[in-house]
This record gives sequence, structure tokens and C-alpha cells, in this order.
Amino acid sequence: MPTDTVPLLEVTSLSKHFGGARALSDVSLQIHRGAVHGLVGANGAGKSTLIRCLAGVVAPDEGEIRLNGAPITIGSPRAAEQAGLAFIHQELNLVPHFSSLENILLGARKDTRLGLINWRESRKAAQAAASRVGMTFSLDKRVDELSVAEQWLVMISKALVSNSAMIAMDEPTASLSDTESQRLFRVIRDLAASGVAILYVSHRLDEVLELSDQITVFRDGRVTHNARRGELNKRGLIRAIVGQDVETIERAPKVAQLDAVPDVVFEAIGVTRLPAVKDVSFEVRAGEVLGIGGLVGAGRTELARLAAGADRLESGSFRLHGKQIDTRSVYSAVRAGVGLVPEERRSQGLMLDKSVAFNMNVGVLRSLRAMPAFPFLSAGKVRRRSRSLMDRLQVKARSTTEPVRSLSGGNQQKVLIARWLTPRVKVLFLDEPSRGVDIGARHEIHQAIRDLADTGVGTVVISSDVEELSTLCDRVVVLCEGRLTGELSGDDITEEALIELSYAHTVSSGEHS
Amino acid sequence: MSSPTTTGRGVALPDTSPRTEGARKRAALLIVSRYGTLIGLLLMIIAFTIKAPGTFFTVDNLLNILNQGALTAIIAAGLTMTLVVGEFDLSIGYVASFVGLIVVGLMAKSHLPVVLALVLALTLGGAIGSVNGVLVTKFRINAVIATLGIGTALTGVGFAYSQFPIASGVPHSFTQISLGKLLGIPQPILIMAVVLALLWVVLNMTDLGQKMQAVGGNLEAARLSGIRVDRVKIFAFCTAGVCAALTGSLLSSTLGSGTLAAADGYLLDAFAAVFLGSATLRDGEFHILGTLVGVLVIAVGFNGLSIFGAPTYFQPIFKGLILVLAVGLSTLARRYAKA
Repeated sequence: MPTDTVPLLEVTSLSKHFGGARALSDVSLQIHRGAVHGLVGANGAGKSTLIRCLAGVVAPDEGEIRLNGAPITIGSPRAAEQAGLAFIHQELNLVPHFSSLENILLGARKDTRLGLINWRESRKAAQAAASRVGMTFSLDKRVDELSVAEQWLVMISKALVSNSAMIAMDEPTASLSDTESQRLFRVIRDLAASGVAILYVSHRLDEVLELSDQITVFRDGRVTHNARRGELNKRGLIRAIVGQDVETIERAPKVAQLDAVPDVVFEAIGVTRLPAVKDVSFEVRAGEVLGIGGLVGAGRTELARLAAGADRLESGSFRLHGKQIDTRSVYSAVRAGVGLVPEERRSQGLMLDKSVAFNMNVGVLRSLRAMPAFPFLSAGKVRRRSRSLMDRLQVKARSTTEPVRSLSGGNQQKVLIARWLTPRVKVLFLDEPSRGVDIGARHEIHQAIRDLADTGVGTVVISSDVEELSTLCDRVVVLCEGRLTGELSGDDITEEALIELSYAHTVSSGEHS
Repeated sequence: MSSPTTTGRGVALPDTSPRTEGARKRAALLIVSRYGTLIGLLLMIIAFTIKAPGTFFTVDNLLNILNQGALTAIIAAGLTMTLVVGEFDLSIGYVASFVGLIVVGLMAKSHLPVVLALVLALTLGGAIGSVNGVLVTKFRINAVIATLGIGTALTGVGFAYSQFPIASGVPHSFTQISLGKLLGIPQPILIMAVVLALLWVVLNMTDLGQKMQAVGGNLEAARLSGIRVDRVKIFAFCTAGVCAALTGSLLSSTLGSGTLAAADGYLLDAFAAVFLGSATLRDGEFHILGTLVGVLVIAVGFNGLSIFGAPTYFQPIFKGLILVLAVGLSTLARRYAKA
């Protein structure tokens, strides 16, 4: 590895404060050409602030950044781009109704002839970049018709077209299936081999360990480790991130299996909404956490939305304690006792400018009235509920009046879960509950889900994370292309079994219902 | 009397001893955006008090200012409700004019008692508002278009209605509503106080008000938490309609007759006031107290203009610039709160 040459990017003693809070203090690291550089750390540890400094979004207070040995100031995103630094964020900045070609060339210097775009030459350049990342689909396809994995390839091609020397990727595999991730890793390795530096930010430690030539660990705004490949194993990495030894999340206690007649809380019977969900039936038992596995796009989110009344059923029904419930609107589903913690926390879950208390209480306002017959809220009840939930879920916020916008992803997620912790909710769907959440918060969220199940609430967890499904869930049903392809329980919930079912196109769901 | 679930109040100001110029600039802008409106109001009051001693800062003139602002405050408070749920209502001025004609007609032409005429007028306003709400929610017509269309149509209906000659005069008790005083305070001020207090309570102390704020905060999230967002929005439009009807009726009471298009101009005043208000104390959020401050800024400004004998053409200049300034401040507040 080219460690003895001048590094592509050298960061020395970088510091950044926001108000009174120190986001980065005395951070130094070197990013080399042709290497994959992993960036890990809990949310708020400083990774994203560093990225934002490099991307020219925020200006560091102190410290120096050198590009190819020469000091530079990255004063704007434009300056970062000119320096050859490309940044791909989770929410891919693509123009949805543009073709891949147009997106790849967006903002790039295009070949022009007499001031008009020379599409033929431009297309050649884009095509060259696209084939470097193994894009097999037509460049003329609109990007909103592409899968997330394909969209990532478009973003990477875009970075290549502008001759980026470094490409930073923020949680690239968060919404990718395992196979898609593997394919992306291959692209990343190829890019590194061709001399591009890759800055790889992820909470998925296995990936980081597998991919990275160098790993930088952040904690509380400082760099705690700068490790080469092989110097840290997963346990060591976790210790470095958390700052102490955490017991690996112990396997959840499994419910006594099938010897007694299970107490069924919630059932889906022949649930259908084409094209996403086809004739799906399953049941949720009291005290268990049911997982829903499958590839992204298999119909898992759509299924949860049907149960929660967010979308209308075409056929089939849902039953709660044996009685069919009305899911024609979210209102009626919630009244019946179904809750949903949606996949997109920020856009579908939270009122970002409102307080922690507001967000926790917004679904149960009626129960917080001073007197049931009058529409006035009891300030005491509002305060007590939010405070006790804040304690129970270990929400880290200065107070219940702090806007949720300023909380970390994990704590925002806890606020959303807290919203549904009310006796009225009998079954709770959680869509990717720990996505983009750091390890500590993830553990606490899992604990909260487990506790909820123990109180008899039917809990259903949708996850793309095999480890999450196997450690948290008692049973997992798997969807593939909208159909239920199988069920696993206990120790049978393994990566191999999940993947097999995720691709089991041929199994008809009729066998399971 | 505090409402624990609203944001903003408990939020500490950012560290005001920043280490860098950027942070200092940001803190300064945040202060301007939160307190700029209040500071501006205060400066105007101080300046007018000094420049026009014995004229501006007198009980009579201050009551006069409040009295002139009262009708704007009522209609603006209704508008605030629609903005809280994230919608718009451009019909309020037309609704006020229309209802102002109808209420006079009900008394002068149909010889209904004053109270009944008023009740019908407010009901009519609520009904028009509800129609706006249904068009926006159930028929998914953009609020700007729906309310502008309904408002314009009402202008025509009002014109048709006024074609029939209105028998002269409205009852004395009707004109007394806005001309009368209670404990030395002009009644419109008292009516305004009641309306504003009522809407403040609804927004901050009832579950309906919290739902309105949730809908405005994040529509999809509100829906997914089980809130019937359409109903909440329709309620907001309905309230705006009632408030507009009240303003229109009070205006007719002041004028002693029904006049075509009399209240159309309130639309702009109301928008200016509401946006100024959203940049007051809260970071770009619409709220009743802010709206009142916004109304006062406009009323004090107008009062100053007339005390100093500024030509009338200054009035639209002042109004227009205030509106632009208000929206600018409001945007600024939102941006710096979230940066």
C-alpha cells in the first residue's frame, strides 16, 4: 500500500465547535490514494463533521488540510469538487426524473461544440465511467426507475466523470441487500485498485473490517484509533467505538416454542396489494418479536403500511385478537391498536422542529386531556408521560422541550418508539428500527423492543440486517417479490437460510397459509 | 398557563460568546430573526414618542392604534390557523367583504334582528372556510388556487347581491358594536382580545391545537400517527372563515353600511402581520402572539405615517415593503434555526 508517498489528503489538528459543543477536537488523519479508508464511530462522534469540513459545508475553526502535500482551504462544496473530492450521501442527490446519463453529467464539465452540449462525446465519457462501476442497465433509464443499488452506481459514475481523486460514501449499504452490497464492495475494491481513495463511513462493522485498508475510529469528537488492516478485530473495534467493553448483545430469550397453543395477537390473512404484496398471511404471537426479512423491495415496508392503514388493502384482512380490524385509514388502524414506526424517520415520523415531548405525545393526545369530556390537555400528564418515557427509553436530550432535530438518529428513533408506548397499541410494526443508529443506541432500541414484546404487545420488526433479525427476533417470516416464502424460528434464523428464502421465487405462499 | 408541548420557549439561546466570526454572525442573525420584529416595534414607539411629544404616546392615541389594528388582528389570527396547518387562505379578504355586505343586507333588507344576522354571518364565514378546506383536502386542489378562486367568485356574488337596493340604514345597535366602549375601551379591542385568547387556547392547550401543529410540522408523520389530517385542516380553514366574517361584520358596523370590496385590503395586512409574527420569538413558526405583534407593527407604522402627515401614497409603499420584509425575516428565522 502506498503509505510512504505523500498522502492524497492530510488532515492535521482539525477542530470545530458548534456553539458550546465540541464536534471535532484535534483530529488528524491521512487518506491515501488507492486505499479504502473506513470511518467509524457512534453518531455524534465526529465522522459527519469531518466529512462536512472536507466537503466544504462547514469551515473548521482550527487545523490544516493538505491536498497532495499543499495546504488548501475548502470554502465551499464547489471548492471540494474542484479539489477532486466527491461525497455521496445516504439520500442520494439525484434528479429523479432525469436519466442516468443526465444525472451522471449533471454539474460535470461537458463537451461542448459552439456552446451546445456535444451529447455524443459526453455520453462516451459517462459510458466509460459507468462500465468502470459495472453498470449494466441503459444510461437512458430514468433514475427513479432504478433500485437504490443502481442509484449508488450512478452516483459513483458521476464522481468518476468529474475525475474525483477521493470518493466519500456515507452508509452505502444501508438500504442494499446482501448481494447488492457484495457487488458494491467489488466496485469499491476495483476503484481503489485503480488509484481512487475511498472514504467509507458505516455502522456496519463487518463491512468496514472487510473492506478497509485503514480504519479511523472517532469518539466524542476525537480520533481514538488509526488502525491499519488487521490491527483491529470486531471486538476491538466495538471497544474503540464505545470506549469500553460491551457484552455483545446477548441472544434474546426465546419464547417457549409451540408446545403450548400460542396466544395469537395479530394475524394477516391473504393480504394483497399489487404489485408489492401478494397473498401474505402470518401471525404475531403474544410476547414474541416477529421479524420480516427479505430483500429491499420485497414488499416488507408495503406490508407494514397496509397493516397500519397507510395504504389500502386490495384483498385480505387483518385480525387483532381474532377480530377483523378496519385498516382503511391510519386513524382507524391506530384506533384498533396498530402502530407503525416508519422507515423514514425524518420525513415520515418526526415533526423535526417540535420538542421531544410533542413528538412523543402526538399520537396519544386524547389520553392526556385533563378531563376526558373537555378538549383541554393536562400539562401535568403531558410532562409526566414524556419524562417517564424519556427515562424508560434512555433518550439522551437536554430536556423534553428540546427540538428533536438536534437529537442523534438513535435518540430520534427512541422518541418515535416512545410515541407508541401506550396501552392502546396492541401490535407495533418497526420498519428498519436501527438503521443509521450507533451501536449503543441500537442495543437500547433492541432492549426497548424486547421489553415491549414482554408486555404482550405484538412486535414486528422489518430489517435488512441479518444480525438484527437473528438476535432480536423469535421468528422471522421472509418475503420475496411480495410473497411469503418461508418462516424461520430460533436458531434456524441464519444468514444462509434467510438468503435462501429471500430468493425463493418459486415457493408459493399457498403452502404457508 | 404554559403549554408544555410547544417548542421554542424552552430552547436556550446559542452560546453568545462564540469563538469565530462565523458563529458570531450566526448568533447575531438568530437574534435579529427572533427579536427583530419586537425591537423594530419598540424603536418605532420610542422614535414616535420623541418626535411627536404629546401626540403619539397618549392613552387616546394608543387606544386608537389598537382599535384600528383590532379588525386586522382578528382576520390575521384566523389566517394564522391555516398557516399553522401548513396551508394558505387567500380568500379571507373577499370573505370579509362579502359577509360585510350580507350582514347589512340581512338587517336592512330582510329585517332580521342584529344578533341573528351576526350569527348567520359568522356561520356563513365558517361555511365558506369549510368549502375551502374540503376543496384543498378532499379534492386536493392547491390552496392558493382554491381560495383565490372561491374568493373571486364571492366578489361576483357580492356584486349581484348589492344590485338590489338596500333599504336605508342599519340598526343603531349594529353600529354601536364597533363604536361603543366598555370601561372606556373601544369594543373592537375587547372583541379582538377575546378572539385572540380563544385561538391561543385552542392552539396551545387543546389536543386539537396540538394536532394542528403536528399537521403543519410534518403532514405525513401526522397522518402516520393516526391524526385525521383532513379534518384538522378543514377546521383551520373554517376558523379562518369565521374570523374573516367577524372582521367583515365589524367593518360594516364601523362604516354603517355594506360596501363592495370594503375589506379586500385586509388580505395583505393579514399576511404581513402573520409573517412578521412568525419571525417573532419563535423560529419561523406561526403563532397567535406573534401575529398580534405583527399587527401592532403595521398599526403603529400607519399611525406614525398619519401623525407626521405623510402623503397617502406612502401607505401602500409601507405595506408592500413590510410584507416583503416580514417574509424575509420569517425565512431567515427558519434558516438560522435549522442551520
